[in-house]
Amino acid sequence: MYDIVIRNGLVIDGEGGPGRRADVAIAGSRIVAVGEDLGAGRHEIDAGGKAVAPGFIDPHTHFDAQLLWDGHARPVLEHGVTCVIPGNCSLSLAPLRAADRPAVIGMFQQIEEMPPEAFTERFAKWTWEDFAGYCRTIAPDLGVNVAPLVGHSLIRLWVMGADSQQRPATDAEIAAMQELLEVCLSDGAIGLSTSFVDMDAEGRPVPSRFADFRELDALSAVLGRAGGRMLQVVPEFYDVDLTIARIDQLAELSLRHGIPTTFSPVFDSKATPQAAPRILARVEEQAALGARVWPQMQTRPIDISFSLLNPSLFLARLPNWWRLLKRPLPERLAALNDPKVRADLIADCGADGGAAIFGDLIIRGGDGAPAAYAGRRLGEVAAERGEGAAEAVLAISLENGLDVALLAASGGHEDTGRIGPMLASPLVHIGASDGGAHLASFATYGDTGYLFSEFVRRSGHFTLEQAVKKITADPADIWGLADRGRLKPGLAADVVIFDPSTIDRDVERPVFDVPGEGMRYTRSAIGVQTVLVNGEVAYEDGAYTAAKAGVICSLEAA
Amino acid sequence: MSLSPQRRFVTPAAGEAVEDLARRALPDRPVAEAADAIRSWNLHIFAMRRPAGLLLCSDVVFVEPPRAAAAA
Repeated sequence: MYDIVIRNGLVIDGEGGPGRRADVAIAGSRIVAVGEDLGAGRHEIDAGGKAVAPGFIDPHTHFDAQLLWDGHARPVLEHGVTCVIPGNCSLSLAPLRAADRPAVIGMFQQIEEMPPEAFTERFAKWTWEDFAGYCRTIAPDLGVNVAPLVGHSLIRLWVMGADSQQRPATDAEIAAMQELLEVCLSDGAIGLSTSFVDMDAEGRPVPSRFADFRELDALSAVLGRAGGRMLQVVPEFYDVDLTIARIDQLAELSLRHGIPTTFSPVFDSKATPQAAPRILARVEEQAALGARVWPQMQTRPIDISFSLLNPSLFLARLPNWWRLLKRPLPERLAALNDPKVRADLIADCGADGGAAIFGDLIIRGGDGAPAAYAGRRLGEVAAERGEGAAEAVLAISLENGLDVALLAASGGHEDTGRIGPMLASPLVHIGASDGGAHLASFATYGDTGYLFSEFVRRSGHFTLEQAVKKITADPADIWGLADRGRLKPGLAADVVIFDPSTIDRDVERPVFDVPGEGMRYTRSAIGVQTVLVNGEVAYEDGAYTAAKAGVICSLEAA
Repeated sequence: MSLSPQRRFVTPAAGEAVEDLARRALPDRPVAEAADAIRSWNLHIFAMRRPAGLLLCSDVVFVEPPRAAAAA
């Protein structure tokens, strides 16, 4: 008798071939049979009318901190994601000496828009310094599988201390970094991440940006010797020439050391319509020469919400606003009540009083905003109040304890007709969700559901089977997760059962479940019936179970 | 398939100032003129960055203008 048998579903094995009616049998943590009329199971799941697929893999997340208090990485699991890759963009939570924790928390706060309380509330649990210690700390409570990257900035900070943000490394320091990276890879890191764009809380470039190419080359050599592990980078994604230069550097490292590399994000934009096609053309040229350089592209359009309660990327281009939002709340409120400060803020927004910046934003409902304003354009409300746009943002926020959120709904990457063919390219890696980050700016969840609703059902750029492959077997192959991404006997029993006719992401909504009573935007899943992680039901019919069957799966891949 | 020509770049050496980089990358031009050209081709370093002009060893520094602009 099997432990679990999933019956009557349309089995989509992850390899892109046609789905077929079959049962899936599981014993322990493994798939043991896929076929018709399999024997009985102690637990039987009826998947009639549903698709049965391998669990989805999310390659670009920042769940490093959330996994300390939420081993299911809610809500990604309910979207069918059974494996997440945190530690992107040069940032991880190990290796990290205790004395350097505040600096790294500041980087997460600055880059990923995560409140410091998300880390400090869990200091009691923060006993590790090395990578093995971090993995040991999160492992017992994992409901989802984790394949963490180790951050280049952390490696540099460990070896060079404060000098990591001052100068290039010496030969001896590079050798020490190589040795440390080797240890991290042995202790569970699936690869290395680095960044060419990010800043710390003081506005200084993060440590990885002080590395010369010689250092990155030496670290890539370690990735190569470890069997060809992943190098992930954040290039200067706002500029196509810079991104292409980084592609060429990655290609050089890939070919020299036999490693896969990936960069993120790549956005499509009406303002620069040739940018993404040029980037993908360069990737294609390098791939033809044998280089493995995987661009990550998200499925969802870009939108961003913000209030004056938190620093937001949306306001980073307005220096006075940005500085104000970095101040503690009582100071911020006092400053906003000063007419001189408000005048300076309004002046920051240009001669039109902020109409171009704020006029088309939508006032969100569900928080402190007056119900009469919810869902309306800020410009329209400002005119009604006889105020300029920036003046109205400040006034309405002040009148409501700053708890008024504004939504920039059209941030780009929204033309399905252009994006669909790019996503469908075999050289494009679906990713860049940023799960676990940018908590108060946008919900980073549900990109998988959106892939099916928008690009399978609405536009038809993918068949159901192609879409499943794109987020299962493809990322498993790219990242070397040989045990995952396919429904095949012998592999890990990570399975998602969903309704192909309804799977989607639900509307974005604020929740207050971040330690320190922090807020984040989230999205629930639609159309996902059951999610199994390593043979245990982790989510079923709208509820998470108590199962904690997740593992550090990069240790298995090593 | 061969690689199509793309915008040429160099990366700064440790301690290298823009004038040093100009001398190395554009040896046929007067240093001051070459440094000014490099500044104008690399606004991500010389305009957008704070402090402006801080050269990092990881930087991509273009040593020619954008190709579309050059062709125009």
